[in-house]
Amino acid sequence: MAESSRSRRHRLLLTLRRNLFASPLDGLITLVLLAVCGSGLWFLMHWALIKADWAVVYENVCLYFNGIFPADHVWRSWSWLAVLAALCGLTLWPWPLPRPLMRLLPLLWILSLPIGLVLLASGLGLEPVRSRFWGGLQLTLLLTLGTIALALPLGILLALGRRSSLPLLRWLCTSYIELIRGVPLIAVLFFGQLMIPLFLPEGWTFSRVLRAVLSLGFFVAAYMAEDVRGGLQALPRTQLEAARSLGLSPLKTITLVELPQALRIALPALANQCVASVQNTSLLAYLGLIELLGISRSILANPSYLGRHLEVYLWLALLYWAVCILMTSLARRLERTLNVTGHH
Amino acid sequence: MAASAAPSPPSDSGAQPGDAWSAGPELAVRSQELDKIFSNGFQALRKVDLAVGKGEVVVIMGPSGSGKSTLIRTFNGLETIQGGHLEVLGHHLDADNNQKVVSKIRRHVGMVFQQFNLFPHLSILENVTLAPIWVQKRDRQKVKKDALALLDHVGIREQANKYPSQLSGGQQQRVAIARSLALSPRLMLFDEPTSALDPEKVKEVLETIRTLAAEGMTMVVVTHEVGFAREVADRVVFMDEGMIVEEASPQTFFTDPKEERSKLFLSRIL
Repeated sequence: MAESSRSRRHRLLLTLRRNLFASPLDGLITLVLLAVCGSGLWFLMHWALIKADWAVVYENVCLYFNGIFPADHVWRSWSWLAVLAALCGLTLWPWPLPRPLMRLLPLLWILSLPIGLVLLASGLGLEPVRSRFWGGLQLTLLLTLGTIALALPLGILLALGRRSSLPLLRWLCTSYIELIRGVPLIAVLFFGQLMIPLFLPEGWTFSRVLRAVLSLGFFVAAYMAEDVRGGLQALPRTQLEAARSLGLSPLKTITLVELPQALRIALPALANQCVASVQNTSLLAYLGLIELLGISRSILANPSYLGRHLEVYLWLALLYWAVCILMTSLARRLERTLNVTGHH
Repeated sequence: MAASAAPSPPSDSGAQPGDAWSAGPELAVRSQELDKIFSNGFQALRKVDLAVGKGEVVVIMGPSGSGKSTLIRTFNGLETIQGGHLEVLGHHLDADNNQKVVSKIRRHVGMVFQQFNLFPHLSILENVTLAPIWVQKRDRQKVKKDALALLDHVGIREQANKYPSQLSGGQQQRVAIARSLALSPRLMLFDEPTSALDPEKVKEVLETIRTLAAEGMTMVVVTHEVGFAREVADRVVFMDEGMIVEEASPQTFFTDPKEERSKLFLSRIL
């Protein structure tokens, strides 16, 4: 026993030496890097544990998550966040789940947005809550899911339109994609928030949240269209010929043969767009929406939290990072599930 | 010219020259002065006349680029034609290919490709049931039962729940044949079905096609397999440079070809 543990330690030391101290220069670089990382970590821990005052975070947890949602109804916002967390948990569950539940998961994900809208806005006997009371992480997630729900179908249609045999449709879709890709997102968001109300007839108005989702969705759709187009182009022509020879109509060829394969190919790129959408919602803080970044700026404006920027922004970074890590894990999971059935 | 010389079984009661153009009920395919010109100007078919009788097995041979594949691809509308007449199973195709006619033809014509072209995202069973369910709109349970029987027929029933990438080339090609058969076609087109296979897998696929021929299926097969042509074909059609050079029974064609071009081709492959 003692013999084997000593030889194991010996092997470990050898590995360390080979990887970190192979030559004098290697050794020097290792030491310098260790010193830099070590002192950085020491300063960070010293600041986080001793100098920082985390009251600005823990006293406002409810605000970060739910914004200024009315206190009587805040359970509705919490429940929606819990639904999303539960869905993530089920999807990422590493052990086998009952088959019926697995089959139901995609449907539950699609339903998560309507469920959220009912819980947040009103319906099913719930009292209405105006959208200007929505905020925090809850609003960030709502904006993200709404954007994806609008952009993905629209992106697929644009990609199909771009390779249509009808010249006018092809020209329209191509121009739309090229136009949107040539405009910065912040300009599109400004247009949605400030310009659209000017063009609407007197008395016509719709909520800022809806306007934000529409602007984000129409923007992201152009990028998603290009990802889907890439997937469609990767398909060999012979797949199309096989489908046609079997007598499948053009529409069925698209829905049964081309899109299932193209979306699989485009999945990593589409997931990338979804993660980027989370980050992009933060731009709306500068247009008066109190999503995660917006509510944090309001909190910082409170004089009793003067100078607590560092704490708040570190906490925000952690939250955004957690959401993105979750989304990439979900995407990877989806990729794996689909790949089990497809190519090697 | 070639059509009139066709030694197809139903020869005497067919369309007579001067009749209103019709293939008659005994012919599965009849082409007259068929021209195919690709958009880059290349003429792949030049005035091709060919008749395929019902129940007949026609093998088309010829060097690569001779238009063999293009010819059979016009039969199910994968290639449009630029001139001449074409009648497939009683439906007329002409230069301005009518989409409705094409889809009617495809309902009764099966096609097997060199590269199998199975759908990689569907299981073997789903590959076979796709068209019966979505094109013929038949009952799912019944389609599934029939598909399993077909897979049994081509000898791969145990693989029904696997995916194409998990099968060998020979197995994939047999699935492709089953997929076409699932629509109960009246005419089968084979476009070099064994050219992409490992040599030791060729036999199993040819065996499947041979069984099909024995069951009386009308078939047009583009292939380089001389042994197969000799044994299974009712007629061999030799093409070169987009034209039919010679049509003959396999015995005549392989032992006593008439045309110089055929002799040259055979001297190279035999």
